[in-house]
Amino acid sequence: MTDRVGSAGDARPVAPSGTASAGGSRGALVQAGPAVTGDVAVLPRARLDEVGTAVRVGDKRAHWRRRAAYAVMITYAVLMFTPFAWSLITSFKTQPDAVQLTFIPQPPTLDAWRYVFQNLDPSIFRLFANSAGIALAVTLTNLVLASIAGYAFARLRFPGRELLFLVVLATLMIPDQLRLVPVYLILNGFGLTRGPGQYLAVVLTMVIMGTNIFLMRQYFLSIPREIEEAARIDGASFFTTFSRVMLPLATPALAAVAILQFQGTWNAFFWPLIFLRDQSYFTVPIALTFFRGQGGFTTNYPPLMAVVVLSTVPVLILYIFFQRYFVEGIAASGVKG
Amino acid sequence: MTLRAAAGDPRASTGRSGRGEWFAGYAFIAVPMLLFLVLNIGSIVYSAYISVFQWNIRSGATGFLGLKNYQTALGDPTFHRAIQNSIYYAVIWVPLTMAVGLFLAVLVNQRLRGRTFFRAAYYFPAIASSAAVTILWIFLAAPDGFFNAVRAALGLNPLFAFFGYPPNQNWIGDAATALNSVILLNAWTTSGTFMLFYLASLQTISREVYEAAAIDGAGSWQTFWRITFPLLRPGHYFVATVAVIGALQLFDQAAIAGGPNGDPANALMTVVLYLYNQAFTRFDFDYAAAIGLILFAIIMTLTLIQRRVFGSAPTW
Amino acid sequence: MRRSLLALGASIAVIAGACSGGGTPAPSTGGPAGSAGAPSAEASGGASAGASETTTSAAPSFDSSAVTGTVKLSGWQSSDAEKKALQDTIAAFEAQNSRIKVDYSVVAGDYPTVMATNFSSKNVPDLFYVDAAFGQTWADQGFLQPLDDYIAASGFDVSTFYPGYIQPFKGSDGKTYGLPKDGNTIGMAYNTADVTTAPTSLDQLSTTAQGLKGKDNLKAPMCLNASLDRGLAFIYANGGAIVSDDGKSNMVNTPETTQAVQGYLDLFKNGLGMTASDMGDGWCGDSLGKKHAAVAFEGGWLDPAMSSTYPDVKYNWGTFPQGSSGQPSTISFTASYAIGADSQNKDQAWVLLQYLAGVDGMTKWTSGGVALPSRSDVPTPQGKDALVQQAANAKPGSGFMKGFTDVQDAFNKAFLTEVQKKSYQAGPVIQATSAAVDKALAGS
Repeated sequence: MTDRVGSAGDARPVAPSGTASAGGSRGALVQAGPAVTGDVAVLPRARLDEVGTAVRVGDKRAHWRRRAAYAVMITYAVLMFTPFAWSLITSFKTQPDAVQLTFIPQPPTLDAWRYVFQNLDPSIFRLFANSAGIALAVTLTNLVLASIAGYAFARLRFPGRELLFLVVLATLMIPDQLRLVPVYLILNGFGLTRGPGQYLAVVLTMVIMGTNIFLMRQYFLSIPREIEEAARIDGASFFTTFSRVMLPLATPALAAVAILQFQGTWNAFFWPLIFLRDQSYFTVPIALTFFRGQGGFTTNYPPLMAVVVLSTVPVLILYIFFQRYFVEGIAASGVKG
Repeated sequence: MTLRAAAGDPRASTGRSGRGEWFAGYAFIAVPMLLFLVLNIGSIVYSAYISVFQWNIRSGATGFLGLKNYQTALGDPTFHRAIQNSIYYAVIWVPLTMAVGLFLAVLVNQRLRGRTFFRAAYYFPAIASSAAVTILWIFLAAPDGFFNAVRAALGLNPLFAFFGYPPNQNWIGDAATALNSVILLNAWTTSGTFMLFYLASLQTISREVYEAAAIDGAGSWQTFWRITFPLLRPGHYFVATVAVIGALQLFDQAAIAGGPNGDPANALMTVVLYLYNQAFTRFDFDYAAAIGLILFAIIMTLTLIQRRVFGSAPTW
Repeated sequence: MRRSLLALGASIAVIAGACSGGGTPAPSTGGPAGSAGAPSAEASGGASAGASETTTSAAPSFDSSAVTGTVKLSGWQSSDAEKKALQDTIAAFEAQNSRIKVDYSVVAGDYPTVMATNFSSKNVPDLFYVDAAFGQTWADQGFLQPLDDYIAASGFDVSTFYPGYIQPFKGSDGKTYGLPKDGNTIGMAYNTADVTTAPTSLDQLSTTAQGLKGKDNLKAPMCLNASLDRGLAFIYANGGAIVSDDGKSNMVNTPETTQAVQGYLDLFKNGLGMTASDMGDGWCGDSLGKKHAAVAFEGGWLDPAMSSTYPDVKYNWGTFPQGSSGQPSTISFTASYAIGADSQNKDQAWVLLQYLAGVDGMTKWTSGGVALPSRSDVPTPQGKDALVQQAANAKPGSGFMKGFTDVQDAFNKAFLTEVQKKSYQAGPVIQATSAAVDKALAGS
């Protein structure tokens, strides 16, 4: 389950809502309303502008209500950002200053940053490389496997399909910790617990996530059948229909899966903790915990905070540019079939 | 594999599927299903197997125990505490985070300027890693950390003292406040995710409903409680299910803040952390497997109950 | 499987190498090789690994010089200084014994956790640290290689190890499963600016602490751990104990132990001591260094930490204060090197182990200043006299009974609760600990 609901793992949460009805409902990624052939666009902004409360324009009460709403929203936004802002500020402080309530470091110093870039073992670059490599690999495998399986569950008919989909949903409810020993023993049997095999072991534990299959299936369900039928009538094989016709139409969903999975894997904690044993294979979150514990940074906050900031930067960049996909991906995974 | 011969068959409209489709279907799902069966479902079965034997991690099964581990779990005070903590966490955190998430969704759903920015801001804490966020939180909650310093500067200390919290309260290191601190931490990070779920749900309520309410003279508070809230039933159901399952699986933050022993004094011991602890500090894999299965049973039961209670909620 | 092929290949290589060198054949797994009539084994080849070797015609002997290969060495790492000291020691070994390569990797994360997964897959380092806290458990579960045969075959001298240090590494079967690589006793480190004369008794300690209250912006006079890893020293000092010396009876419920626990609680109660965490520090070393406390009870590991992070703080060591028992006492912590039961390179590991636990290797290791010797024939590193002289009176601070971790856990949780709830009653602590001891003794 996702970090975002306070537990281990990096999957996004999906309600185990059972089988989808045959007609399928539209995901938030798809426009509600009559299907437009070939133009299954990402939800236009207009839809997101729905008014949630009745606001009478020009009403004085509404004016004050609006002021109040802004005040509340800004306060809360400040609350959201303050911890991160504080970690950024602290990274520019000296250690004694780190425990003072100084919003401007006194004295400001780059020592912590210098330390992080020069003296960390493993180096911050290595950590980023490890995290990125694993995240990219997992994202790729998820994209491929989830899209093809999602399509099959959505559009292909074969015996036992609903039962097998239930299996997919059931996997979402199995805590990672329960699987720890069996999975470790199995992967170890394949020799994946020494050397570079450790990377493969971590990737294998996350190579396909039920939530992604769910998401892709949702999306495919909302694509009108006519498009597919047209392709099949033209004699395309199932695979060609999938790869040439359906997949290009599913770009928004693929983007959502890619971004969410990358972010989830980047932040993954549990499986890397178990499998990445050699220090030089650490990913950023594991290294963070290590630095705080054995690395001796327990109360040496400035460099610790610097690493915290650095670990968030890539996801932050992703978030700033692709915010839409985060939002719509999360929302779509919440849509029941 | 082309199915030209079947191309003319109006299969799509009559619903009759041929062998080719079967093959394609199975082929497409083969890899994921294989992985799920081996690494997911299969591991449950394997865990069940492990839990009925005395398991030495090096030599495997060394004696049949039957249901002894489950019996031990029923009488184990640390396990009781773990269940207690997990339940307390779920009971407090789930409604809290749902409420905050809903509140934020309503805020962001209004036609106000900059709400995309606010939506981004509220979701932001959710995108950082659990390790980063927990360590940041530990720093803020330290006796000489940000939170204590701010409340001192704002003159709020007498208020806190009234509730028994000294100026240098160690929020995460003190058994009395550790779990609550983690609750707040996770409420802060996850409220953004729930906000997005509720937002999507709010989108499905058509404008006419609000316009009708406005015409009938309903105030915004009334509108919210009498109309919006009930209409969000599928959203509530979904968020609640996700939240409860997530709450029962709390691990990362507890392990980082409290270590594998659930310090201080079992305050942060959750069921899942206890599983990890039994497996890797006591090397009691069979007991750990039993605990995992008990947790799994709890989660399944709760999910079934939730489905019964909420029924088959209407689609959005 | 691939792994066993590799092992087979390695064995062949070793045997081939040994044969070509004219020495005795040495299989890479299992016990020491039999010597096929080579009485002058120690004369052949280069220097042996620092331990004395005798070949008797009756017992099989182990020829260190004939062993080649790699040893995978593993352990935790608590500081950079430790890393350097170990690397220096390994380099010295490799210089002395060029036939064996040492491949060192740190175990990050929770050591027992990580090692558990190693044991389960039989994929273990050849030589690794075993802390006293889990020495007996690991030995009894079959993870470790018994060393008695190796010791006999090499004639390795174990008599000079401090008894308290080697005891935690004997399994329930009485065999030796690890050799202590170093050891530390808990001493009293005090800031010389605040404390002019070192207290020698617990009463004096209280008086001194009382006088320090509020001085110099100290958060508390002493930094104390609300747990057994220091509390036990106070218990021993007052004549109490957890179990009897033979490890068979529960000694928690005695008046001496109860009074000792109450006395330790009272230190917290009267504001004479505080936990590091409550002072905003990671451990008492930080508290001493940041001048949050003037007295800390730590071991030799304090010195490198202080000199690297807080070089300006002047402090001194004193022996652990005496209590009502009238005897000097303290507790010791030690870790050993052990060979994995499933290791593929046991002989090589034994060669390395002899060096590291022998006089030469240990001297090199302890000269790095991070650890103290566990043998009396290794010279005391500079400035550590107080700590080393206590070693003879030190009782193990961990791993001295089966099920120790559960007992420690019970004590820690009950004690911390008393401190945090500010009730400071010894009763619940005694009760919880006693129950845990009974359970542990019954289970064995």
